Amino acid sequence: MRRIKIDRSKCIGCLTCVTACVVSHESCDSRNRVTIDSKTKAAPIFCRHCDKPECVYTCMTGAMSKNKETGYVEYNKERCASCYMCIMACPYGVLKSDRIEYKEIMKCNMCVHRTEDNKPKPMCVEKCPMSAITLEEV
Amino acid sequence: MKYVVLGASASGINGAQELRNLDKEAEITLISKDDKIYSRCILHHYMEGIRDVKKLEFVEDDFINKNNIKWIKNAEASKVDVQSKEVIISTGETVEFDKLLIATGANTFFPPIPNLKAAPNAIGFRNFDDCEKIMEMSKTCENIVVMGAGLVGIDVISGLIHTGKNIALVEMKDHMLSIQLDKKAALAYEKGFESKGVKQYYEKGIKELIVDEKGKITEISLTNGEKIPCDLLIVAAGVRSNVSFLEGSGIEIDKFGLLIDAFGKTNCEDIYGAGDVTGRNPIWPTAVKEGIIAANNMAGIKSEMTDFFASKSTMNFLGIPTLSLGINEPVDETYMVEIENDDRGNYKKIIHRDGKIYGAILQGDLSYAGVLTQLIRRQINISKVKKPIFKIDYSDFFNIKENFEFVYER
Repeated sequence: MRRIKIDRSKCIGCLTCVTACVVSHESCDSRNRVTIDSKTKAAPIFCRHCDKPECVYTCMTGAMSKNKETGYVEYNKERCASCYMCIMACPYGVLKSDRIEYKEIMKCNMCVHRTEDNKPKPMCVEKCPMSAITLEEV
Repeated sequence: MKYVVLGASASGINGAQELRNLDKEAEITLISKDDKIYSRCILHHYMEGIRDVKKLEFVEDDFINKNNIKWIKNAEASKVDVQSKEVIISTGETVEFDKLLIATGANTFFPPIPNLKAAPNAIGFRNFDDCEKIMEMSKTCENIVVMGAGLVGIDVISGLIHTGKNIALVEMKDHMLSIQLDKKAALAYEKGFESKGVKQYYEKGIKELIVDEKGKITEISLTNGEKIPCDLLIVAAGVRSNVSFLEGSGIEIDKFGLLIDAFGKTNCEDIYGAGDVTGRNPIWPTAVKEGIIAANNMAGIKSEMTDFFASKSTMNFLGIPTLSLGINEPVDETYMVEIENDDRGNYKKIIHRDGKIYGAILQGDLSYAGVLTQLIRRQINISKVKKPIFKIDYSDFFNIKENFEFVYER
């Protein structure tokens, strides 16, 4: 599978990736975030589509599931009960609900909606001016 | 290889699926009382009418066929023969196994109150059948009483509000959801349910059930002497694990439930257990993980349970999100409590001592709170983090593995 590789040393915290995410999903919230640590160093925090996804293990409706073929952790908002267990379970604090209705979980889908054949095409990666995030095979 | 799985909920289904992932050739038999796969945690949404039976499923469509599982429905194990490696089921059939996964879950506990067990209008809220029965009975009854203000009790109330019936809640503790919430966080829900007409009786127990000549409850006498009318009593005062069929089998159980080690194994060779049947840490994610871990060990892949932090929960009643982790009140004066509040319904509280967090409640905005779960579970010292305690995120623990996954300690 391909993951978004994060080179933290290149990140300048410009938030272009966050904006790109909002634009790609036509959403009022982003599915990624960039925070700064105690030494004011930027930290891009993106969904890792974990091999052992805590958000999937904790989901009681099947809304979060690991796609065996692509390796991606997919979110189906139709199944979601907005119970927020996944928000609590994500060890890295990637997840939140939408800010308006607290209903939909803001979950990265690798921008597969931007391609015809369901291939990843993350807009955050395309727009990053520093190449701090790149799409790579693992 | 012949695998037999008992129980078709979180543990059993995830266990069966993992067995199939690991062994394409194996014969997998699933035996369950349930005739459908459904998530118990969202039954109240079915009751409320906002989710149909299909949407109670927590697995992919056509799960049983896709995973080539032989499913014996409407049947429960009545005996396990450890020597001959057979399960005798309620239909009289005998099913042989090479390896067995016991994931029979738990059932509603009916406290020893006279007339309770025999009453036709006293019912638990655990299974799909319970849910349907309550829905059916609520059509003709007027006064519904819920015993127990834990998550199950509040689930059922939220599923019943739309019926417009009189609903009363009786709870021994002094506030709602006392395991998860402090008084302030509980108050948001108590007020909300009050405005929906739910009468709430705290610090009161059920002293006596007044029944008619058929044993049907008509009225409840509370410990303070007050009497409340009741024609449907929903019992939500805890659960007990389903282990009675194991008595005398040689498979070790204790007063809580089935005993398993960190690999999911019981005291008997080739017999494993997972989920609520253990009577410990009865939460969904634990059940799922235990099912997966047991399945791995059954298939010969060593896998160990390492996550024993189970005092965690989230809820969403009346559109108010809340998350609760660890303790909800300081144990003594050595603990420090930080509170952040606003007038838009956000309430945050963190309990800490000597650089470690022991408990937290978040109400309203739960964004990115998963980090807090790890700080508590892993007992990570946060004194090096130079940020307000409510602002701590993953950046100060940032670490990337070779496969680009995140990780805490290396």
